[in-house]
Amino acid sequence: MTTTKELWENALVELELTISKPNFNTWFKDTHVVKVEDGTVFLGVPSQFARDWLSTKFHKDILRSLRGLSDTVRTVEYIISRGPKKHTDEPRTVPAPPSELPLENVHAKTNLNPRFTLSSFVVGPFNELAHAAAQAVIRKPGIAYNPLLIYGPTGLGKTHLIQAIGNHFRMSAPERKVQYVTSEKFSMDYVASLQAGKVQSFKEKYRQYDLLIMDDVQFLAKMEKTKEEFFHLFNYLHDGNKQLVFSSDQHPNVIQNLEDRLRSRFNAGMIISVTPPDHESRLAIVRTKAAAHNVILPDEVLEYLATAVEGNVRELEGALNLLLIQFELRSEPLTLNDAKMLLRGASSATKKAVSVQEVVRTISGFYGVEESSIYEKTRRKEVVRPRQVIMFLLREDFKISFPTIGEKLGGRDHTTVIHSCEKIKNDLRNDSVLSGELNQIRLMLK
Amino acid sequence: MKFDTNTDELRNAVTTAARFVERRANLPALAGILISAEGSRLTLRATNLECGVEITIPAKVATAGVVAVPAAILSGFLGNARGKVVSGTVSGEVLKLETERASASIKTLPHDDFPVLPRVSAERSFTAKAGDLSRAIRSVAYCASLSAVKPEQQSVLLVGDAGKLTAVATDSFRLAEKTVPLRGSATGTASLLVPARNAAELMRILDAGGGEAEIYFNENQLSTHVGDIYYTSRIIDAAFPNYKQIVPKTFLTEALVLREDFGAALKSLSIFADKSSHVTLAVDPKEKTITLTSRNPDVGEQVSTLRATITGEAVSMSFNGRYLADSLQSTSGDSIKLQFNGAGKAILIKDAGDDSFFYLAMPMNR
Repeated sequence: MTTTKELWENALVELELTISKPNFNTWFKDTHVVKVEDGTVFLGVPSQFARDWLSTKFHKDILRSLRGLSDTVRTVEYIISRGPKKHTDEPRTVPAPPSELPLENVHAKTNLNPRFTLSSFVVGPFNELAHAAAQAVIRKPGIAYNPLLIYGPTGLGKTHLIQAIGNHFRMSAPERKVQYVTSEKFSMDYVASLQAGKVQSFKEKYRQYDLLIMDDVQFLAKMEKTKEEFFHLFNYLHDGNKQLVFSSDQHPNVIQNLEDRLRSRFNAGMIISVTPPDHESRLAIVRTKAAAHNVILPDEVLEYLATAVEGNVRELEGALNLLLIQFELRSEPLTLNDAKMLLRGASSATKKAVSVQEVVRTISGFYGVEESSIYEKTRRKEVVRPRQVIMFLLREDFKISFPTIGEKLGGRDHTTVIHSCEKIKNDLRNDSVLSGELNQIRLMLK
Repeated sequence: MKFDTNTDELRNAVTTAARFVERRANLPALAGILISAEGSRLTLRATNLECGVEITIPAKVATAGVVAVPAAILSGFLGNARGKVVSGTVSGEVLKLETERASASIKTLPHDDFPVLPRVSAERSFTAKAGDLSRAIRSVAYCASLSAVKPEQQSVLLVGDAGKLTAVATDSFRLAEKTVPLRGSATGTASLLVPARNAAELMRILDAGGGEAEIYFNENQLSTHVGDIYYTSRIIDAAFPNYKQIVPKTFLTEALVLREDFGAALKSLSIFADKSSHVTLAVDPKEKTITLTSRNPDVGEQVSTLRATITGEAVSMSFNGRYLADSLQSTSGDSIKLQFNGAGKAILIKDAGDDSFFYLAMPMNR
């Protein structure tokens, strides 16, 4: 069964062949199926002009092609509906415009979600640095830390924090322009402006902001032209002392394909990582979120929750929601055992099984060494490091025993494996590049 | 198809219809005017799919028929035509027009592709004198935005309520509102957003037609008959900003100046104003003067002082001089009232003896 959208698209392809091009472009542009009911297709058209003309002139053609595609279509009705709104941007021609009349919501288009504020942000040792930097940026935008880049694995509140900066900035200086955008949206905007031949208005649109917040900048690395445009935008805003705030899932130094000129610019400001929360922070987060829902859960349940769901705050919230909905459904309070039952699937203890070979293949591919050399007895430096990383990950993430790891990796002694794991663990403390690499490998293994 | 008709009438009809023709239309037929001859009249139809017009003129029709003719050629030829009568004959794909001294053969367009104009049922409507309606639109239409970003700001809002018709337009930097009387009261809630370009065409048709105009409308379309002209336009389905709440009720400073003085001063200041038409107004209640200054580093500067009746505090603010001057075209009295609320707040401009119009403009940032 095709969807109604596909049905109409297929019909359009047929109609395009039977109707002259100017006619097709004039009348069938901007048409879409609104709904299908009891064999009646409701066709959304942009204006009464189009409605009247389609129904007098092209009704037979439309009906014939729709019937040819689907037996259930009996008739077609035309209704006026503009469908998804299109954005047309034109450059403002007025230089130094006077301030605008306060027509409501004229500048509410900051893209910010007002839910994200600093007051709803739980601070712990894992993110206090990022939180402090955000506060500094709010106090002295453009001066304190510019650009500010917050990086860390998914689900740790990066987006929350950078949106909170935007929200506070907007409240303290309502006349200044704030924009929150994901790198993906930025890129789409750019491509759309290229297609429409309106690059200039794209540039002007982004250069007007006093605070630009961009989420997930790591994706920019893959997009060549966008990256270049971003570079110019960055320079323009930074030179004008406009505040820039970014988030990324990696340290810019380890983002692949990122050019040095961009990397060094990120490094010129403040780069702060958020790490997965420790146990106490997780407990604090669970308490805050539960309180926000006006639900009091027994301490032991909260404790269990914080222990069972490691790492990601988002998963923690998901698990908590699971408990809350149960709490609402039944009248009696939740016990620890109930929680254990409910969270069996959600707990991060269950790791999916991955073959050692697969891990070896992924990591050797990542470091660009021969897969077979991992199993050999060689001690060449370029092989030793990847091998140690493999051992570390097999132990840490997949909980494989030391002797098994040694055996699988070319019959090595378990003490060698222990040494490797310790080595990597030690190196991780003061080597941000290594931790970035590990993050990236973990993503690849998922 | 064969007909005879009055040259002047056909010329006027073609000139009006030609304004509705879009030159760069996707559909070739839309570059033309559709002429249909039937009974004892010719009907001319033109549309750009935003708005459309149908004009009926009396004619002696020998053979009925329909033909679509390129608007530019037709109006160009008729513009220079002499003599009382023009006769037209269609043979094959050519329309032959004959006047007293000239004859032209014009290649026609495929008229099958020419769309019908939307009709609006008479359920909801309001009636006004054509002159009043046209004046209301003219008084505000220049405030509409040229940018297509916000369709509601590219339009003129017409609200019919309790025997009054209110027209409003804004581009978010300034706003104008004009109220004119209605004939009878509107049926149903009448609140329409007409694209400013279409409203301008409506205005010209109202001016040409005169008499009374009954506007019919539904959610998507409005139409009207003015004399022998049927006009229809798309209307915009968007929310107009709730502007009433931003119109100030109290003022810190009020000044009364002669309209002519103010207009002349602004005109001559515009020579010296910079690109953004920056004009500074200093109101001095003690001296009873308003001093207007404009300065352009490349040209020089000018200071004009106007006598004025002033109540309230002294104030000095900067405006876009063009915006101030624009407001004067909608006032007709001898003197105008300028009302201020201090720095950063909008100025309200009114005709001193006429409450049917006001104009609100924001000051400039500097």
